[in-house]
Amino acid sequence: MAYIELKGATLDLPIYDVQGRSLKKTVLRMGRRNTIAEGTDGVVVVRAINNVDLRLEKGDRIGLIGRNGAGKSTLLRMMAGIYSPTYGSVVSAGKVVPLLDISLGMDENSTGMQNIRLRGLLLGMSDAEIRAKQQSIAEFSELGDYLDLPLRTYSSGMRVRLAFAVSTAVDAEILLLDEVMGVGDASFMHKAQDRLADLHSRAEIVVLAMHSNSEIRKVCNKALWMERGHVRAFGPVEEVVSQYEAQD
Amino acid sequence: MFSLGFVDLKESIASWRLWTLLGWLEVRQRYARSRVGPFWLTISTGVLIGSIGVVYGTLFGQKMSDYLPFLSISLVMWSIFSQTVIEGSTAYINSGQYIRQAATPKLIFMLQVVWRNLVILAHNFLIVLLLLVVFGVKSWATLPIFIPALALYMINALWIAMVAGLLSARFRDLPQIIAALMQIAFYVTPIIFRPTALNRFSLIVRLNPLAHLIELVRAPLIGEWPTPITWAVAIGMAVFGWIFALALTGRYLKRIPYWV
Repeated sequence: MAYIELKGATLDLPIYDVQGRSLKKTVLRMGRRNTIAEGTDGVVVVRAINNVDLRLEKGDRIGLIGRNGAGKSTLLRMMAGIYSPTYGSVVSAGKVVPLLDISLGMDENSTGMQNIRLRGLLLGMSDAEIRAKQQSIAEFSELGDYLDLPLRTYSSGMRVRLAFAVSTAVDAEILLLDEVMGVGDASFMHKAQDRLADLHSRAEIVVLAMHSNSEIRKVCNKALWMERGHVRAFGPVEEVVSQYEAQD
Repeated sequence: MFSLGFVDLKESIASWRLWTLLGWLEVRQRYARSRVGPFWLTISTGVLIGSIGVVYGTLFGQKMSDYLPFLSISLVMWSIFSQTVIEGSTAYINSGQYIRQAATPKLIFMLQVVWRNLVILAHNFLIVLLLLVVFGVKSWATLPIFIPALALYMINALWIAMVAGLLSARFRDLPQIIAALMQIAFYVTPIIFRPTALNRFSLIVRLNPLAHLIELVRAPLIGEWPTPITWAVAIGMAVFGWIFALALTGRYLKRIPYWV
């Protein structure tokens, strides 16, 4: 039974490049959205997630909404286990697959086929799983013979298609997606949406960060509204999204 | 603390397919589209050993048939050690893209460095083999010792790389310092000169742990038995070094994504 539970989860991100008092003040003026403070050792610390309590259960399709810099991506990374909370805890059961960056683990000088393997391994697939799925990934990407050419010869659209095909082939129990729309040309876009829908139906929990409210209404049953690292509202999708729209 | 580091090590070893692939890709990338490929390593090492051998062999008044095998083994072995440590110090920094996007075990990036350098060693080792064939093997009995000696040697290189990598991720001046230190270590360690050649300041050799490490892998190939002290130093360093490195890794494992 897959679940993710956050208890009082708080995340302080230390920013090492920004040091010194004058810089701190500049940053404070620029970013009113986040709590920015200075640590004891002079490192600027951004409180990206502040005291989040949350439990996601099987069957939840959660749409993450909120303005830029509200902590959506950071929350996803925390759920994925990339960032561990500074205070509180994040516990999850089930295989978590984060699709946060479409270009993760793509090697310029390797062929498309080799990149399928590399990215598959990075996303936690086993060797046997990759071999079994290689054919369907190749077909889905529609790259044909280009798969035997090195990646550096690909157009950006082709790269995205390959990356998308590999990422969405992973069997995930908990799927974390960050703005993965806008792939390839119109016909591929359509295919990609079908594929995502299929992926959603297979995964037990889906968390989706997106700026398109209509899309979130369509695919999610719950919405989580983040604001300055806090949970502003969490509940049935229609309720939360309309609140969010009213406020904007 | 220690157990967190240990768990990460276990998971890292389990995903050996990932780090062997990443290591291979890097070797291949470095020599992409060159006709001779990674054998450029063999060629450049060969030229280096040939020129240093002739000049220093004459300077030190050495017999070439002894000195060339000695030098080739020393240089090849030193280069895998220092490269592992130097590249280890930047391993987390350079893999930042992966670390920030996927929750993989962290030590795979260290194992990747070791693997890549073992691949490079395999190419460089051709020179050693060639010289052993040309000048003859001194003693067959000591040869098999080389295998456990090499393993112990790399185990030591790995923990130093782990510590260097972790500290360098946080303090970005360290990779430069480490590279400079390795340069100094090259001159004070008996690599191009024989351990017995220092008739004054022999403390430099006796108290230098790196001298023992290099002796450990060199002796079996030039027909000598590594002394018990050499073994003791190498094993002692490995045990205490690993405990320290795993504890440190366990303590700061979760901070790595913030640092890179």
